[in-house]
Amino acid sequence: MNLSTPPSAVFPDRLRRAREYRGLNQAELAQKAGMQPSAISHFETGTRKPSFDNLRILADSLDVTTDYLLGRVEEFKALAGADRLHRHYESLDGSDRKMADELITMLAKRAEEKGKP
Amino acid sequence: MITTDPYAFATLVAEQIVKGLGIVTLPIDPKGIARGRGIDVVAKPMENEGVSGMLVRYDSEFAIAYATHHQNEGFENFSVAHELGHYFLPGHVDAVIAGDTGSHASRAGYSSGDKYEAEADRFAAGFLMPRHLFFPALEKAGSGLAAIENLAALCKTSLHATAIRYTQCTRDPVAIVISRGGIIDHCFMSEAIKNVDGINWLRKREGLPRNTTTSAFNKVPTNVLHGVRIEETSNLQHWFGGRRSIEISEDVVGLGRYGKTLTVLYDIDVPDPEDEEGEQSLMESWTPHFRR
Ligand SMILES: [Zn+2]
Repeated sequence: MNLSTPPSAVFPDRLRRAREYRGLNQAELAQKAGMQPSAISHFETGTRKPSFDNLRILADSLDVTTDYLLGRVEEFKALAGADRLHRHYESLDGSDRKMADELITMLAKRAEEKGKP
Repeated sequence: MITTDPYAFATLVAEQIVKGLGIVTLPIDPKGIARGRGIDVVAKPMENEGVSGMLVRYDSEFAIAYATHHQNEGFENFSVAHELGHYFLPGHVDAVIAGDTGSHASRAGYSSGDKYEAEADRFAAGFLMPRHLFFPALEKAGSGLAAIENLAALCKTSLHATAIRYTQCTRDPVAIVISRGGIIDHCFMSEAIKNVDGINWLRKREGLPRNTTTSAFNKVPTNVLHGVRIEETSNLQHWFGGRRSIEISEDVVGLGRYGKTLTVLYDIDVPDPEDEEGEQSLMESWTPHFRR
């Protein structure tokens, strides 16, 4: 098991930093992301945990990567790269592991293409 | 008796998403909805049994892979909806990532003790069988196993998942039992049957009551494998103990390669306590009293 801070604990601070850097207040970001105005403050105080769907929309609205909001990288637009896989990865059988690897490669290619100006 | 379900919110989240999408007819198409969200959905090759589903992430790009070896559309829909649960449920980023990004694999069904797995299963049930569409369908579905079969066909869900959802939503006293051999694997009771006084609740991992149709059914392995289906009567006491000898219905079906049996106990017409008392005193007034 990994002892590092869970992503949802890093997220509130990352969200606030990215929002302030983009010069948006909470209401402006909420509007951009199509969320309730209170949602952003709940996220930033940590009273509400994000889903992947939330993260993706917020990352898009702030022009940062999801990896940044999750504390996986230090720069706004950086990608975490070819990551090691999740906690169950070791327990996947060979064919599932191969399939997961192939999907990651495909998604990585797409993510990097989207990142290009 | 008040039962609070710690995972009920996961069902609610799913139902709100379906409502939000403006979906007004069954079945729900989880693959289509995922693709509409920009999530790739890919079938695992048939010979690749392994996990029932995986959610794979690379930054903001997502893919879901689902197992196809069961050759059961209901099972596939449930697997995809379960992965959507990991995608849509708050806090699941911690379960999936746990320090390393990548993918999340899910084991099938209701057996996992993991909190996140339980939440994703509840999400899937609510997603494929949301109350605002499931309730009206249930009213028209009939009763017993036939009702569950009708609803499963309508929702394109497995008999197993549909049966569980049925007990959560029906107003009738109904119980479903999933068994393997002589053992109750798990069981679900509707609110109405939980409120019946003087019966013992069914417990998982207990032996099947011996003098029941299900018990006899499970002694013939081909019944399970070939999906044999029977409708029988039983007695409330055989299943639930207590002092009332009341005839009830017991429908049984083998779940095929899944290796388990689904039993539906229904038509449980328990007189309410006041009528019972009335009957009791009426009986007493009829019964000649002999003084010793
Ligand atoms: Zn899962």
